[in-house]
Parts: sequence; C-alpha cells; structure tokens
Amino acid sequence: MGLEQFKNRNVGTQNYKTLDVGVSPQTGMERFKQVAKRTVKGELFVGLGVVMKAMVKALFADDMHTVKYPFEKMPISPRYRAIHDMLRLLESGHYRCIGCGLCEKICISNCITMDTRYDENQRKEVSEYTINFGRCIFCGYCAEVCPELAIVHGQRYETASEQRASFSIFEDMLSPVDQLNLQQEYQGFGAVSPNADENIKQTPLAY
Amino acid sequence: METTLVETLPHVTWVGVLIKAILILAIISAIAGFGTFIERKVLAWMQRRQGPLHVGPYGLLQLAADGIKLFTKEDIVPQNANKFIFMVAPIITAATAFIALAAVPVFPDFTIPSWIPLLGDTFVPAIAADLNIGILFVLGMMAAGLYGPLLAGMSQANKWGIIGSARTAVQFLSYEVVTGLSILAPIMLVGSLSFVDFNSYQAGGITSWLIWQQPVAFVLFLIAGFAETNRTPFDLLEHEAEVVSGYATEYSGMRWGMFFIGEYANMITVSIIAAVVFLGGYSEGTLGLAILLKVAFFFFLMLWVRAAWPHVRPDQLMWLCWKVLMPIAVINVVITGIVMMV
Amino acid sequence: MSKVNIKIDGKEFAVNEGEYILNAARANDVFIPAICYLTRCSPTLACRICLVEADGKQVYACNAKVKEGMEITVDTPTILQERRAIMEVYDVNHPLQCGVCDKSGECELQNYTLALGVDSQSYRIPDTKRENKNWSSVLHYDAGLCIVCERCVTVCKDMIGDAALKTTKRGGEALDKEYKASMPKDAYAMWNKLQKSVIAPSNGTESTECSDCGECAAVCPVGALVSRDFQYTTNAWDLSRIPAVSAHSSDGFQIFYETKPASIEDREKKIFRVTNEWNYVSLDGAARFAYDFENRGVTKDPEAFDKAVAAFKQAKTVRFNSVITNEEALMLQRLKEQMGIKLYNPEVRKFQKFLGYYQDASGNSLYTTDTDTIMKQSDFVIAIGTAMRNDSPGLKYAFNNVQKMNKGAGLYFHPVGDTLIPTFGKSLLSFTHKVGLEEAALYLLLDLFADAMRLPEEVSAYIASFKSSETKTIKEKVMKSVTETVVDEETGESKEVTKKVPEMVTKEVSVERNGLVELLGGDAEKFEETFAKMMKKKESFSLMVGEDLYYHEKAENIAHLIALIEKCTTIDVVMTPPKSNALGVALICDLDDEAEGYTIGYNENGDFRLSALGEGDLDMPAMNQQEGTFTTMSKRVVPTNAALSYGGYELNDIVSVLIEGQRETIDWTPLLPTAKGYRAVAFDDLPNGYTNEGVENRGYLLEVESSEVAVPTIEKFDTSLVLEGEIVYRCNPARQFNDFTDKSHEIFEAFGLYASPAKAESLGEKVEIVFENGTLVVDVIVDPKIEGDITKLSDFKSAKDVYTLFGESRYKTVTMRKV
Repeated sequence: MGLEQFKNRNVGTQNYKTLDVGVSPQTGMERFKQVAKRTVKGELFVGLGVVMKAMVKALFADDMHTVKYPFEKMPISPRYRAIHDMLRLLESGHYRCIGCGLCEKICISNCITMDTRYDENQRKEVSEYTINFGRCIFCGYCAEVCPELAIVHGQRYETASEQRASFSIFEDMLSPVDQLNLQQEYQGFGAVSPNADENIKQTPLAY
Repeated sequence: METTLVETLPHVTWVGVLIKAILILAIISAIAGFGTFIERKVLAWMQRRQGPLHVGPYGLLQLAADGIKLFTKEDIVPQNANKFIFMVAPIITAATAFIALAAVPVFPDFTIPSWIPLLGDTFVPAIAADLNIGILFVLGMMAAGLYGPLLAGMSQANKWGIIGSARTAVQFLSYEVVTGLSILAPIMLVGSLSFVDFNSYQAGGITSWLIWQQPVAFVLFLIAGFAETNRTPFDLLEHEAEVVSGYATEYSGMRWGMFFIGEYANMITVSIIAAVVFLGGYSEGTLGLAILLKVAFFFFLMLWVRAAWPHVRPDQLMWLCWKVLMPIAVINVVITGIVMMV
Repeated sequence: MSKVNIKIDGKEFAVNEGEYILNAARANDVFIPAICYLTRCSPTLACRICLVEADGKQVYACNAKVKEGMEITVDTPTILQERRAIMEVYDVNHPLQCGVCDKSGECELQNYTLALGVDSQSYRIPDTKRENKNWSSVLHYDAGLCIVCERCVTVCKDMIGDAALKTTKRGGEALDKEYKASMPKDAYAMWNKLQKSVIAPSNGTESTECSDCGECAAVCPVGALVSRDFQYTTNAWDLSRIPAVSAHSSDGFQIFYETKPASIEDREKKIFRVTNEWNYVSLDGAARFAYDFENRGVTKDPEAFDKAVAAFKQAKTVRFNSVITNEEALMLQRLKEQMGIKLYNPEVRKFQKFLGYYQDASGNSLYTTDTDTIMKQSDFVIAIGTAMRNDSPGLKYAFNNVQKMNKGAGLYFHPVGDTLIPTFGKSLLSFTHKVGLEEAALYLLLDLFADAMRLPEEVSAYIASFKSSETKTIKEKVMKSVTETVVDEETGESKEVTKKVPEMVTKEVSVERNGLVELLGGDAEKFEETFAKMMKKKESFSLMVGEDLYYHEKAENIAHLIALIEKCTTIDVVMTPPKSNALGVALICDLDDEAEGYTIGYNENGDFRLSALGEGDLDMPAMNQQEGTFTTMSKRVVPTNAALSYGGYELNDIVSVLIEGQRETIDWTPLLPTAKGYRAVAFDDLPNGYTNEGVENRGYLLEVESSEVAVPTIEKFDTSLVLEGEIVYRCNPARQFNDFTDKSHEIFEAFGLYASPAKAESLGEKVEIVFENGTLVVDVIVDPKIEGDITKLSDFKSAKDVYTLFGESRYKTVTMRKV
C-alpha cells in the first residue's frame, strides 16, 4: 500500500464520498413508518449476529485479543519513552555520560540534576546524577539532546514503586556492566516498531 | 379449571417446603453469583476478550473472590442518609426477588431417598408455594421490588441517587403495565394463574407451547422483562455514563451486593416465567434439563443483548412503553379475547 | 576630548579623537569581530580578525586610530574570506570537547566560528602534544584548548603588572609550503605564529609566582585558562549572575557572584565563581577568589537576638571594621546619636582624621581624582606610603597601566623595597626610603612639581636649603678623530683614513645636588638627568596616597603638605581608604578614639559579638548575603546585591528594636548624609553597569565640594622621627584583607611575617615578635618580591588583634626572637 494518499493533505481536491443518511421524518405518519420499518428490518438482530460471530471466532478460531499482561507483553515501539537508561561504552565499559549538562539544561520539567568534578585523570567526572521521576514528563528531550547517546529512554514502563527515588539513581539507570551485550540503543524518534508491518492496517483515511 | 395433578402427587409437608425454600435460596444465590461470572465471560468473548482468568481454573473462583471482597468491604452509610431506610432498601430488593421465586417452579419435584435419615421420603415440591395465583404473586412481588431501588435512591442524600430512584419509579411502574397486559393473553388462554396449570397446558410437546399462539405477547413480555430487571438496553436506573450508579451510588460492600443478587435473581425469575409461560415449562421426562436449557437461553439472551445493543434514552423508553408496547398489548388481549369467543 | 567624524558602513559617527577604530565602533554599537583585543590594554595583533577596510586600505581596527572623515567598511568579500580562513585555522586541531569544556557556550572561538559560518575545514597539520598544567594554586592551563590569542599575556602585563605570562615555543611542525600561496595572507601569518607558540609562565618555571588574581582566566576567550577550583564543576548556563561589589579592598570592583544550588543533596545556593566585566574592570585575587565567606545555614535565634538587644542597651561602645555597608554604618551612627554609644573603628579612625586634616587644609571635601581617571588620563603617577601590591590592587593596576598604556612615568616612595614595581615601566623611579621620611618625599614633590610662584616663600626657602651645588671632576668618554696612513696590502697604495677613537677626558662640571633625593635613598647625582627624561611630554600628574601616611606620627602635617601640593602643582590626589568600605565609614560615622566599657564587637572582638563569620553570639549576614551600598575609593556609591540567602537577623532588626528603624536595610540608602556628598536616591534606582564606551555607570559619584581656603601652613620635617633597627610593617599579603578573605577556601596566603628571602633566612622558620605592649609568635613566610630588612606582619585575623599591637602607627621597632 502506498502512502501517497496519506501524504496528500490538500483536502480541497480529495475525492470524498458523502454518505446517504436519508431524510429525517417530518410528519407523524412518516415517523411511524420509520419505526415500523426499522422494527421489521431486523437491524437489531444484525447486531446480535455480529457479537455472536465475534464470540464464536474468539472461542473457536482463536481470535482472542487479550494479552495476559504481566505474563505476556506487547512488543513496544523502540520510540517508547519510559524510564531512562544510562548507557556504557561497549569497548571500555565506562559510562558514556561526559557530564556536559545539556540534558539538565534542556529538561523542561527541571528534573535532571548532576554534580560534576575534575577527576584524577584530568577529565570531567559525573559524581552524582539524578532524575526526579516525580516530575519527569518523559518528553525525551534529554535523550534527543545527548551528544554521546549516553542517556536514552529505556523500555521499563512499569514505574509503580514505593518510592520516587526507586528509579532515579544513576547506578540503577546505568546498564549493568556484565550485561553490556544486552544494551539496547535507543532507536530514536523516527524509528519504527519491530512489528510495524503487522500493525499496518487500513485506516479510515484510506477509504 | 380443576387441578387434578395435586391429587396424584404425594402430600406436601412443611418440611418439604422448607427444604425447597432453602434449596432455592442457596441455589439461586449461587446461580446469581455464577451469573455474574457467566456474564463477564460471555461479554468478554463477545468482545474478543478472555474475561476472568486467573482466580481458579478458568477464573471460576473469581466469584468467590468477589464475594469475599464484598463481604469484607467497609459498610459505608453516608452522613446525611436516612440511615434506617438506607440499610433496609437492599434487603427489600433481595427479599422480594427471592420471595417471588417461592411461587415459581424452579426445578421438578422429587422425593428424598428413604435411606437419608430424618428427611427420608420427604417430598420436595417443584414449587415451594404452589399458589393458584402464582403468576399474580410473582408479578406482584417483582413490582414490590421497586421499593428497593426507589427507597435506596431517595434515602442516600445523593443527587444521582435521587435521579436513579426517579427513573426507577417511572420505568418499573410503566413496564409493570406492559408485563401485566402481555401476560394476560396467555392467562386467558390457560384460564389459570397457577404455573402448574401453565405447565400442564403445554405438556403436549413443542407444538403446544404458548409462544406459537401468543408470539406478540411473548415479545412484549420479553421487552418488559428486560425493563423490569433493569437490563441493557433499559438499564437507566444505574446507567454509569449518566447517573454514576443511580440508586446504588452510595452503596458499598454487601449492601451493594444484595442489589446485585436481587438483580440476578430477578433475571432468573423472569427467565423462568418466560420459559414456563411461553416455552412449555418443565416437562417431566427430561429431569428438568429442558427447563434449565430454556432458562439458560433467556439468561444468555440478556447478556447477548447487553453485548450488542446500546442504551435507550429515558424519553425513548417511555415513548416505547406508552405509545408502542402498551397499545399493542391491549390489542393483543382484545384479539385473543375475540378469538376465544369465536 | 575633541571629536572627529567617521563613517562606518555608511553611517556617520562622531567619535573621540585618537581612539582606535575598534573602540570607536564598540562605543557606537557597531560590531567588529575581535578576539585578542582588550579594551584597556595595548593591541596584541594576534588574531587579526578585526581586519577592516579604512579609506580603501585594509587595517586592523584594534590598532588603527580614527581620522577625520575616515570611511570604514567592516565586511568586504576579501576581508570575510580572510576572517573565515582565520577562524578555520583556529579550529584546526582544536579539541572537540565543547561538551565538557568550562566555557560551556560562552566561548568566543565557538561564537566566531558560527558567526563566520565556518562549515568546513580546508587546512590541516599534525597536532602537537600539549600538556595540561597547573600554574599556581588557582590557575589551570589546558594548552590543547589554547588559541594563543595572548589576551592573558597582555592583561597580565598591561593591567595587572605581574607580567607573569609569555608566549613560548610550541614545537609544532612547520606549515605546508603550499598554504603560503593558497591561503589568505593574514590567516597564513597568524597560523604561522600560532603553530609556533603556546603560553607559559614568564619566569621559565612551571609556576607563575604571581599575585593569583585570575584575571588571565577571566579574559581567556576559550576554556584554556580556568580556575582550578571551578574546573568541571558546573556549566556557565546554570549559574545566575548577581551583580555585587567586591567586599575586600577599597577599590569597590564590580563583580558578579555566580550562584547555583550547591549539589544534588544541598539545594541551598552556593557561589561557584566570581566573574567581571574584564574589558572595564580588572579584579584582584581577593575579589575573584574570596567569595565563599557567607554565613551559611543561619536561622533566626530569638534568644540570641534578645540577648543582642539587651547587650546594645547596656553597651558603651560598638567596635567594628570597614567590612560594613554604608547603610549599616548609618545605623550605627544613628545608635550613637540617639543612644550615645561610642563607635570604635581603629581601621578607619586614622583615615578619617587624615581626611579631616586634608579637608581643612585644602577646602576640598574629598580628594581630587580616582583610579579610573588616572588610567584614562594620567601620564605621570607618584605613589607615596602605600604598599601597592598588598594594600590596593586598584592603585597597582592604575600605576602599571599608566606606565604601559599612557607612555607614562612614575615615582614610587616606600620604605619596604619591592622588586615588582620597578618592572612596571622604564621611566619609573623607585625610592626605598627610611621609615618616617614620607614628609621629605612630599617636600621633594613640591620641589619637583610646584609652581614656584605659588609656593609660600618659607617653603621655597626650606626646600632650597637642601640643595647644594658642587663641582665635581668626572671622567668622560670623548670621541676623537685620528687620521692615519694605511698601506693597502694588495695595491701597495697608501691612503689616509680618518678614524674615531674613544679617549678618556677629565672634566670639571658643576652638579646640582638635591639633598632630599639623597635623604630618600636616591641617586642624587643622576636624579636630575633621569627626572628630566621622565618629564618629557608629560601633561597629567597624579599622586596616590596610602595608608602609611594616615598612621604617620605627623599625619596632620602630611595632610597639609598634600593640600599644598594640590594647590601649588598640577598634581591630582587619590587616597586609598585602608580597606573595604573605609571611606563610607569615615564619611558616615563619627568615630571615637577609644573604646570604653561594655563593648559590642561587630565582626571584631568584644564582650558581645555580632559576627558574619559564624562564631559570634549573634549571626549577621556576610557581605555576599546582604544588599547595600559601598563607598569606593573612586568616590562612588555603588550598590551590591545579595547573592546568597540568609535566614537570620540583620543589624536593621536590632536597630528597629532599639530606635526607629527602617523596614529593610536598603531603605536606609536614601537617608545617607547628603552633607557628606551622598544623594537621596533609593537603592533600587542605582544603576550598576558599564556603557559600551567603558564609562562606569554604577551608583552615583559623591558630590565633592571645594571652597577657597588659605594656603595651608606646613611644618618642617624632623629626621629624628626616622625609625631604626628591626622594623615590622603592618601589611597583609596580596589577596588577604580580613577574616572573610581568610575564610574563603581559594585564598591560601597564610597569616605570618612576610620577609625578603635574605631576611627570612636570617629569621628562621618561626619568630616571636616582641612589641611594647605584647608579643606574637608567627611563622616567617618568604615573599620573593620584598627587598630589604623590613618585614610585613599580616593583620587580617581580627583574633590576633594586630591593630592593638601596632597602636598608632603602621611601622614598629620590635625585637625578634627565633622560636
């Protein structure tokens, strides 16, 4: 399916078809006729038929839409913006953050704070880093602005916790040094989800 | 019309009636509870969902979990509520629903086997109280059930409750008329108000079912039954989108649960009446399976309709009742009368 | 100053004559890019991007002066090409570590690279390894980031006077020859120089041994020079800038406290650094690095407050120092007026008296010039009685700047020899005289500069009495022409050749000997000649007067002498208020000579102590925690703002209980005494900035009144007052002024006895100094810039009560014992 029709936003020249909704009854007799017609026509039973068909399909054709959530999870888009991950350099295992402070600056809810210092190797070291998830609106600017791809949005969307601080510690967000092979790059804002092809359907716009 | 059946049956003792009553209470309560489970499951399937799944096998114990929840929830009585009436109202609903069942043949009669001590050889009748005005009693009791929601809504000092109880009064009273009139035609044909007589009248197999003679009455009764039991598309009393929870807004815990049980008991009552009056009732030979299937069908129909159809507006409801159903019912009675005369 | 008309990009401007094109453009809001130029320093011509076209010729705007009718084009296609090439060259091998660089977006290299649209790099050369270095306790130099614009070198030489930095060899590879042909000319020349040089301490070692003022770091356009303490701690954009006044020296430098929450745990704001408008004001080390003296974590303690009120009610004296705002000084003055409490301030009292003598004798309500005017106009400066390096960095900068920028000359009179000051300029004469001869120095000035017509006769006669004429036999080298006959070896021809041959001749000359010069330790023989050279083309003369004179036994006579100098010569005078707001206190408070009875000490010793240092009986806000005004050496009332929050009580709260107070401390600002030259201006209406032309627009100038008075009578000086023996001079090390500078973590100068290396060796590590009224055991610290035997004893710790030991003077003869 081509995307031309979606890209054409020039409404004026599009070929709309108008739906024939008929005329509203005016006189009593007309109204009576409409009622009678609708009663006999059995539209109500069509409705019954539809749901019955759905049930039969659900039960016998395995057309069930339920995802048994805590046990099964839907694949989420790589663009999904959940709790941040701080990534490491794959070669050295050192965290990527250089402490430039751009995330702190760009954060529109002012929830990122960092302390930096001059370290023994004459480099800038991030001595403390915290995100206040009570305030974070997961807008993704921090990941967008990060010049080192150090802070990214992870896939941890289950953020219920007893304490706000549960997710905000730098070490918690940092990918574990022994699981560097599992470290996921954030695909970014333009990325498509892994199951994007399955999800493509005709949307009403395409009719 | 003389009833000959009673003479052929063993004598109905008070023990038998008591056993029957306890059975009804226990089984119907259980079924009402189970009904909620069935409803959730069926609705889920019709919406391609799974429904309750995790509590017990296939989620069967969900209703136990719900029961425990309802029983252990705090019983809240609003500060400005009329406390006594507020507390009594759910009991009225539940009580009337079960009392109505007293005159309904819930399942066939049987005799307790003689090897069971104490109760051996006790005859348990099909109907706890085989009144010869059974139908009148059931309809009357269901009508009295109106007091439950009505009083509940008015006593709780909540505007949604007031609206809910106003709707109760309007809806129940109006459809009482349709129920009565629609069932009048079969009564005229059978010539009795006893369910046993209805059962006997249709004992000759499917062809003798009253539905064939009174299709219009059947449809009318079904529609009115939906309204009486407060089911979609006529569940205006507690329509969430409009009046939060209507008369039940301020109820919690088991008091709310009693409304629930009452509603499901009423659904069963209506299903049984419909089955007995129009679909041949319980036939002797099938060990009550026939009546069970028929009741189950009506119960299922109610869920099915809920899954498929939208609500109507209160004004549409009234319009339907007074301008459509009531006239048809009257005409039906008249036509039936004329046919009988001729 | 006369104006000339020029046209920049077609627009007409009237600008000051003799101005550089760049400054003229800046004054009129026209942007000409420039990296290496500093407004008050000499053009370096390192960056060459200020290239403009003037009357059809390409000139450097920082170096070319405006002429009448000049037509200037800022951007021409060739110039833009040139500038772009220069920026590309600057970007060659510049590390791309902008993310961590401390400039964090304030980088001029970044700005110009973007402004000139450098989007590709055409040049390349192998990089040279350049090391990071710590040059001193405060300076960090990242040679990798350095673009060798030499601003640091220039400011250190032309403004600060330390000349502690220079360019040195980088050891980079030579440029590819083909660039010479392909590159724009200036860019190539600039690159050629850049590739060869890097900045290093000028003394050839790894450390600068300078006054640690940090001005070099302030002017650095990139992140190459930063304060070690600030490095990598925060980004510039996170800091809020609070305009304030340096609370330490009496110069009243405008500074900006830059604050941010201290850390993730501690959200209370903290000062991370101090910055300045380095084009218009240069800071000393105390102003820049002594910033964290705040009284932190103070809450209101009503009990202590009640005790304080009770203490004031029974107090006979309030002892305080000059670290106080005008407003608080006024409050104390009101307490004195209404409650009869004595005000005791030994730091300021002598200055106040001296000022009084001067006012009486001269008819001027205040001295006549200031450091800014000196820098702009003066070409001959004289300093008497001030250890400039320690007492008054502003004077030092002005003194130095005049030598460097105004082709100036200078005379420096001080008993303690200083190796730095003579290096300020070539026509500078430094007199290391004996203690007590300050009057003689002033007489010498009268002799040298006074208009003989205006000088009272007896004074002329007195001065003449020091002069003697003598005939002296001197040997002189004379070139004598000798004619010789030389035989050419090849041709055999003989030639007559005239040669000049030196010959020593004895000659008798009459020499004017100036006894005063001799007395002051100068070379009387050569003085006349040297001075004549110094006086060439000099028009504007200034005299800097320091603290020594206020503490002089004959301070009154000295004040009269100064008044006479002003009257009879064209010399303008500036006096250094001893510390912080000494001038404000001197003008506002009626100070008493003695403390008596129950004493309240405000940041000083006392029976009840109000303290902003956090150790008194009631906490007070420190200078970076309060609003108010200062009266600076430049006779200016300048506002300072609170950089940090303060939760406790202020002096105003106490005063409000005792007498009628004001709602806020700054409500006292309009009440400052107009009789003393203050104006009734609300605090919030005080401006605080500099115009593009560099004109100071901070607060307001005190009204100076002058009235005609009789010519002051002066006494002859008395050589018997000269101190002999072991002399100690009360003088703080540079960057230390008071307890507050001492509290700051970036000030490392210790309390002790500072001595020249030779003297220190003879004294040992620790000495006990025996005064008439007490003894003190101190460490001996070497100050290589001191010459001679006089030692400097610090006074910045009020707990040591050095003022009491010294009593009425700044020099004391003492006995020293090794410990």
